[in-house]
Amino acid sequence: MIEIDALTKVYGAAQVRAVDEVSLHVGTGTVFGFLGPNGAGKTTTIKMLAGLLTPTSGQVRLGGFDVARQRSAAMAQFGAVLEGSRNVYWSLSAWQNLMYFGRLKGLRKARVAERAQDLLTDLGLWERRHDKVGGFSRGMQQKVAIAAALIADPPIVLLDEPTLGLDVEATRTVKNWIAEQARELGTTILLTTHQLDVAQELCDRVAVMRQGRLVADLPTRELLARFRERDRYEIRLEGAAPPGFDAVTREGVTTINVRVSDPREVYDVVERLRAQGAVLESLTQVQPDLEDVFLALVSEPSHA
Amino acid sequence: MTFARGFAAEVRKGLLNLLAGWREALMEMITFPLFYLLIVLFMGRGQLRADLLLPVLLGMVALTFIHEQVNRVFWSYLGDIQSGVLEQTYLTPLPSAASILGRQVAAVIAAVPTALAVLATGATAAGLQGGRLPFDAQVIVPLAAIVLGTCGLSLILCGLTLVFKRIEIITQLSVAVYAIAGGTLVPLAAMPDPIAFLSRLVVPIAPGIEAMRDILLGGHSLVALPTGWGLGWLLAQPLLITAAGVIVFNRLEHLARHRGTLGRY
Repeated sequence: MIEIDALTKVYGAAQVRAVDEVSLHVGTGTVFGFLGPNGAGKTTTIKMLAGLLTPTSGQVRLGGFDVARQRSAAMAQFGAVLEGSRNVYWSLSAWQNLMYFGRLKGLRKARVAERAQDLLTDLGLWERRHDKVGGFSRGMQQKVAIAAALIADPPIVLLDEPTLGLDVEATRTVKNWIAEQARELGTTILLTTHQLDVAQELCDRVAVMRQGRLVADLPTRELLARFRERDRYEIRLEGAAPPGFDAVTREGVTTINVRVSDPREVYDVVERLRAQGAVLESLTQVQPDLEDVFLALVSEPSHA
Repeated sequence: MTFARGFAAEVRKGLLNLLAGWREALMEMITFPLFYLLIVLFMGRGQLRADLLLPVLLGMVALTFIHEQVNRVFWSYLGDIQSGVLEQTYLTPLPSAASILGRQVAAVIAAVPTALAVLATGATAAGLQGGRLPFDAQVIVPLAAIVLGTCGLSLILCGLTLVFKRIEIITQLSVAVYAIAGGTLVPLAAMPDPIAFLSRLVVPIAPGIEAMRDILLGGHSLVALPTGWGLGWLLAQPLLITAAGVIVFNRLEHLARHRGTLGRY
């Protein structure tokens, strides 16, 4: 479990509030999406969460241990893959890296070896375990970094942009693996990403930061539901649209976006189309995705 | 137990890196003895004088350790910061000082082949001049004092790196100053009194080199060292410097955490 209470970071003489009274509680086994535009304060929050930065005020507890006062116990609960960093030694092999980080985490040699074998096998790196990480592809290096973060089987894992720069296959492997860690092993995963489709697919709950503050913290479905636009429909027609409709035609399919004040008005629109000889292909209520919600949240004063 | 395992892992990693960079180690095993011979040649105005070979040899061995312990550890630490690996060592239960001490032990082991190459060169050169390389087990004490005192210096430099990052010039300068003021080439007794006083006070290798010369070249006992400030200071100085190193490192690490300069992330 991750507990963040009134976390604040103020930088320098200019008193810039990078993070302002952020509070979050993430339950065990949750995949938690931590989103926000560049400069929103995500990295600063993560650094405080990981004990790499001292907060101006507030508290972070990992698995019940205070990061500031019980650092060793808190870090024993935690593993992380940090974006923009190598995370592991490129001059060492995958096996040597896992043995090194496992021992650094305080595990017995036999336990590290057993765990390293499982992780490298799961991630498809067992055959290359003795190769230097520097010679690996970006996706393989990321897999080694993830394996190193999980070598001590921590109950809480931070994955910062885990699929950035990966090809489709590697992305799929990492996504499946994240889901498996949370669902089957009960690992709490804090996921930060700008790939909102990845967040939507994986996250049980999503928080959005903007200008150092949380502007949303809700279960993903609930967040999407809040932004569902009950008044927007998309009508697809075969062939051209009749006169009087604002339509877009691509590859022989015409799309009309309709905004109504009462859902029953949709029947009137369909009737008008039918009367003018249009052939209806589909009629759907527009469902927002996380990208729509995200853009709405970061461009408005506050939500949730 | 966590400390011991983490410390051992850090030493092992340092040795693996040493093996991976064996070409660099080999270059040092060639260049350091050459450098030693050149110094003796310059000091002897073109001659490998017997009275210079052994005193400079002892200074050069000490300098080999300080070079490895300061340069190797500083560059590996800076490299870890720049590549974004250092943060991962902070995400473990291991105290960060254990990581640096582990690096120090690996650096000391890494210095041994080069030091042995320098010693072999000195012994050969001395043999050709009709002399021989003396040995007295008591010399281990000043050598250990040099290694321990250099740990303190390295801790301070690593702490500075956490806050200020690009401090290569300070590192290079400190090794250069230590090479000159540590008595590696010229004995402290031959230096102006204020400089000799300062060197004995703060330069980690200075009392050690004086003691090594007294024991090996002068044939004196460890408990009756004629030059310098005696056995008490030989033992106290590296302990004080290391204690200062731990305190300074912790303060600078605290500052780095406060400013957010810990690592690259």
